Amino acid sequence: MSTILEVNNLRKEFGGVVAVDDNNFTVQEGERVGIIGPNGAGKTTTFNMIAGYFKPTAGTIEFEGKRISGLKPHKISQLGIGRTFQIARAFGEMTVYDHVLTGILAHELHFRPTPKQIEQVEHILELTKLAAFRDNLVENLTIASQRRIVLATALATGPRLLLLDELMAGLTFVEIDETLDELRMVNEQMGITLIVVEHVMKAIMQLCQRIIVLNYGKIIAEGTPKEVANNKTVIEAYLGEEETYA
Amino acid sequence: MVDTVLVKNQKQKRARIRNLIILAVVLGALAILPQVTSEYITYVAVLAIIYAILTGSYDLTTGYTGPLTFCHGAFYGVGAYTSALLTLKAGFPFWVAFPLSGIMVFIFAAIIGYPGLRLKGHYFAVTTFFFGHFIYLVILNSVSLTNGPMGLRNIPPPEGFLGISFTSLNSSYYLILIFGILAVVFLYFLVNSGFGKILISIRENEELSEAIGVNTSLYKVLAFSIGAGIAGLAGSLFAHFFRLLHPTTFAWMTSEMVVIMALVGGLGTLIGPIIGAGIVTLILELMRFAPEYRFIIWSVALIAILIIEPRGLMGLVRRIQGGKK
Repeated sequence: MSTILEVNNLRKEFGGVVAVDDNNFTVQEGERVGIIGPNGAGKTTTFNMIAGYFKPTAGTIEFEGKRISGLKPHKISQLGIGRTFQIARAFGEMTVYDHVLTGILAHELHFRPTPKQIEQVEHILELTKLAAFRDNLVENLTIASQRRIVLATALATGPRLLLLDELMAGLTFVEIDETLDELRMVNEQMGITLIVVEHVMKAIMQLCQRIIVLNYGKIIAEGTPKEVANNKTVIEAYLGEEETYA
Repeated sequence: MVDTVLVKNQKQKRARIRNLIILAVVLGALAILPQVTSEYITYVAVLAIIYAILTGSYDLTTGYTGPLTFCHGAFYGVGAYTSALLTLKAGFPFWVAFPLSGIMVFIFAAIIGYPGLRLKGHYFAVTTFFFGHFIYLVILNSVSLTNGPMGLRNIPPPEGFLGISFTSLNSSYYLILIFGILAVVFLYFLVNSGFGKILISIRENEELSEAIGVNTSLYKVLAFSIGAGIAGLAGSLFAHFFRLLHPTTFAWMTSEMVVIMALVGGLGTLIGPIIGAGIVTLILELMRFAPEYRFIIWSVALIAILIIEPRGLMGLVRRIQGGKK
């Protein structure tokens, strides 16, 4: 296994506020890594830096050995990093089919999609079980479906690393289970490395092999779900310090 | 499941046949128009076709790609003056000046759009508003070049070929009709192509579009400049058909009118703005008896449209057909 993502001394300040505080971590190819932490811990900020939406105040990010920090989001996508957003933001006035096709065209524009590109769309619609909705307008579908469409479109760009930002927030238990199956399939069958930010603990514990815990911008723990769940610092960060009485 | 797909296919087929019939009727009517109507109506039709090209190209920029602009009339003017001056002062034939005016406006818009489109939403809209007015003032005051408020006269008509001359009203009507059809076909293929889907993705959600790998700033500048370039071509047609130019033709009112035409028809539908251009031209002509009231009535009508059906006529059609939105 080789390192797909390497983050060195990554730091982001907004004015005087330190959102991400000199963090170091690496992700191996094929891994499923979770990033958790209380609100405002710097999870989404980290994502935004990896995907190019924020420029780091200091530190570097390397993807497959190539420095990507400071590049524009579309360049980073072209290099092979896909992402989804916290709030479902789909292209509302498109059919599901066109939505997924756009992900392919964004990387290789043809005025008329080639037969290979059309085949690719069909393949992804099948994989993500969206084929039945192909002619529906995205805006007429439920939030859960819209998230799946955004995920399918991210897959259409052919990423090797996917950043998933709260993909499961607000979903029902059944939908969460479906999404977990889908993500495992993406990881195992398509060989895509996953980094997941999630508040639904049950989901992240089931899905991820390794979890990084952030608090106030700093990494406070790292390990398997079990290790993290039993870590004293983590429990304190989430539940507050135990008060001791003399 | 299979049944619904079949029904859907049949419905689509029927809709396609119906659209083709409507298209054939409209084209047929336009083809015989100068033969069966008066000269006056032919003039109005020419104006409507030129406005249709103008509004259709506006739809590419604003309806499909998203940024709201208020300077389309200025691009139209730059195209008209470029073409007129190239023929009058440099002695170029129309057939050279016409494409050059389009290319010129394309480059011009790219120069404005590249820094300008970094501004988002209303800020860019306001910038284009002032830019449009700036262009008008330049045309008005550069007397040595544009002849300022005296306007340009005796602009040559397109040179004839194969024994066809474009000095008569009827033959130039057909020339403009052909250019109009070409422009609409070009825009139709553009917005329905892969390129068009990329543009729509920017309109729908620029951030997500970037995340999937679209160089959104490049595509926005491209869409803005192509739309402007076509407006420039429409300006060239206007100059060589009416053969005189006056700065007020390209003042703020024209940019506003383009926006109104597009809204009446329904932004982002291409066919809507083209129909809108026809309807608005017609109504403006019908209201010639009360020129001072035209724009007052217009403004009221516009507000009503935005309240009742913001997607314009195409929105109404879809509603009648029972679509969801």
